[in-house]
Amino acid sequence: MTMRQAILFTLIALLPGIASARPAAEATHGADLYRAACAMCHGPTLEGNFQTPALTGRFVANWAGAPVAELESYVHRAMPLMAPGTLSPEDTRAIVAFLLQANGLAQGGTIRRVHPS
Amino acid sequence: MFAGGAALGAVAMMAGERTLLPHSATAGDALVPPHRPRLAPLHPRVDQITDLKVCIRPFRAAGPRLDVERIGDKTIFHNYGHGGSGWSLSWGSANLVVGNVAATLHRKVAVIGCGIVGLTSALTAQRAGFDVTIYTRDLLPHTRSVRANGSWTPDSRIALTQTAGPAFADQWEQMARFSWATYRTYLGLPGAPIMFEDNYILSDKPFDDRPAPPPPAGAPGTMPRATEDFATYESRIRDIVPAVEDIPDAENPFAAPHARRHSLMIYNFGAYGHLLLSEFHQAGGRIVIREFHTPHDLASLPEKAIINCPGYAAREWWRDDSLIPVRGQTAWLPPRPEAPYGLDYRGAALLSKTDGVMIQAVDLDGLGEMTGVGNSFEHPDPAEAARAIGVFADLFARMPMVGG
Ligand SMILES: Cc1cc2nc3c(=O)[nH]c(=O)nc-3n(C[C@H](O)[C@H](O)[C@H](O)COP(=O)(O)OP(=O)(O)OC[C@H]3O[C@@H](n4cnc5c(N)ncnc54)[C@H](O)[C@@H]3O)c2cc1C
Ligand code: HEC
Repeated sequence: MTMRQAILFTLIALLPGIASARPAAEATHGADLYRAACAMCHGPTLEGNFQTPALTGRFVANWAGAPVAELESYVHRAMPLMAPGTLSPEDTRAIVAFLLQANGLAQGGTIRRVHPS
Repeated sequence: MFAGGAALGAVAMMAGERTLLPHSATAGDALVPPHRPRLAPLHPRVDQITDLKVCIRPFRAAGPRLDVERIGDKTIFHNYGHGGSGWSLSWGSANLVVGNVAATLHRKVAVIGCGIVGLTSALTAQRAGFDVTIYTRDLLPHTRSVRANGSWTPDSRIALTQTAGPAFADQWEQMARFSWATYRTYLGLPGAPIMFEDNYILSDKPFDDRPAPPPPAGAPGTMPRATEDFATYESRIRDIVPAVEDIPDAENPFAAPHARRHSLMIYNFGAYGHLLLSEFHQAGGRIVIREFHTPHDLASLPEKAIINCPGYAAREWWRDDSLIPVRGQTAWLPPRPEAPYGLDYRGAALLSKTDGVMIQAVDLDGLGEMTGVGNSFEHPDPAEAARAIGVFADLFARMPMVGG
């Protein structure tokens, strides 16, 4: 419980509510949020580890074809694992925008590559 | 008498072993006790850690979810939420669920998940004549299951007595007996997938055998409030599980004044997991690597009967808020096959297994079964590991030895 408080505190302390509407700024904000709330488990470069899934590679295959809203809903419901449901809807959108951008995926709509081959 | 003691020491020396001497024994009273355990000492150290594994126990106050649900033309047979007892109850739980599947007259079965519950469900379905495909995000070595302690703990945080009610107690007994009998068929095999080892329970104070105090007044509902809310059913299967015995002072080899011993069944994850996967493939089973996001994703599967074994992940994948996370962590040190025993002391546990010496902080802070409840911080805590290792390092540092 104290761990949870500590993490929430870190989140709040590091990231005063900078919600941005513009997609590029949103992804940048999302990257900051990712570093503070997610990187400790999923790794600074989304690489994951033996017990935590990477948010690149197979992650793309896992979600390809699903609505972006479904991924947002998952992240909001399930992550960060020790404090699910604590990200605001804006912060959730920003983090997902960052994950899509980092994986070369299109923003909005369905999860797919920016340049389908 | 002295000569006898010296001769024993010489034998131990010849065998090249360092043997622990009963803590009260001196040259003057070296009466050789009939069953003096000859144990090689373990000196666990933090700088020997090979792995820190963190896991979330999938706890449900009412006990595991084993009901049947229909979604479109699919019938879903749930098998998840086994708390700290998933390994122990796996075969019995699979037996109940596959019994329900068998009544549906389908021939093909899909199993979601390849943790210990999914894998044993798949094998049980094959043995009942089904054609089985496992759909899973991860194979066993990457699941939460292999981050467990891995011993016979069939009523470890399996339910809350009141919430689960007496019908579950009967069902638990059926599962536990069936599991135990199935595990016995895996004993004595090459590579020791399953084995028994002596486990020593040590204490600084005399053991307190008074009955547990009653739980707090009122009903706990879905959230445990105190250790006493958790169900304990083990007395129901006393007739098949080896009893715990007191070790007389003169036979106690440990630097702790009170000791007990029992034969504990343990699961060696490497050998056992490999064996189960091989059995599944040999029987024609298929595995499809796949992640599901919503129950509607199941519509795309060819099978109509589906056994759902996602463990804690059911919280997201099946939107089941009744799952309460209970965090736990194990530290792994290199294997010590010459020291095959287990220890419970000062809230820490140690098991010497074929794939390593496992050390777990079970309850270092006197919180009992509430330790880790509500905590889903699945991230290694090296300080916790150091404390647990310290319990045993300190114990062995205090112990006299002969023969070395
Ligand atoms: C520290 C600790 C010690 C323990 N010690 C013991 C012990 O000594 N004895 C004992 O009996 N029990 C013990 N347990 C409890 C035991 O580990 C669990 O009850 C058991 O592992 C649960 O197994 P499972 O197969 O249900 O879940 P998991 O092992 O979590 O497996 C779930 C499976 O489902 C798959 N999956 C999940 N979601 C999806 C999805 N959306 N799409 C596709 N696939 C999915 C996963 O990839 C995985 O294959 C311990 C637990 C902990 C944490
Ligand atoms: C304490 C460790 C931890 C933290 C912190 C964490 N995660 Fe996770 N994450 C996990 C684990 C473990 C899983 C696998 C889910 C499971 O098994 O229940 C996962 C799964 C995921 C998935 C699904 C991956 C897939 O391929 O489907 C996404 C997306 C994700 N996390 C995003 C995030 C985001 C975004 C954050 C930060 C807000 C975050 N996680 C923080 C441990 C963590």
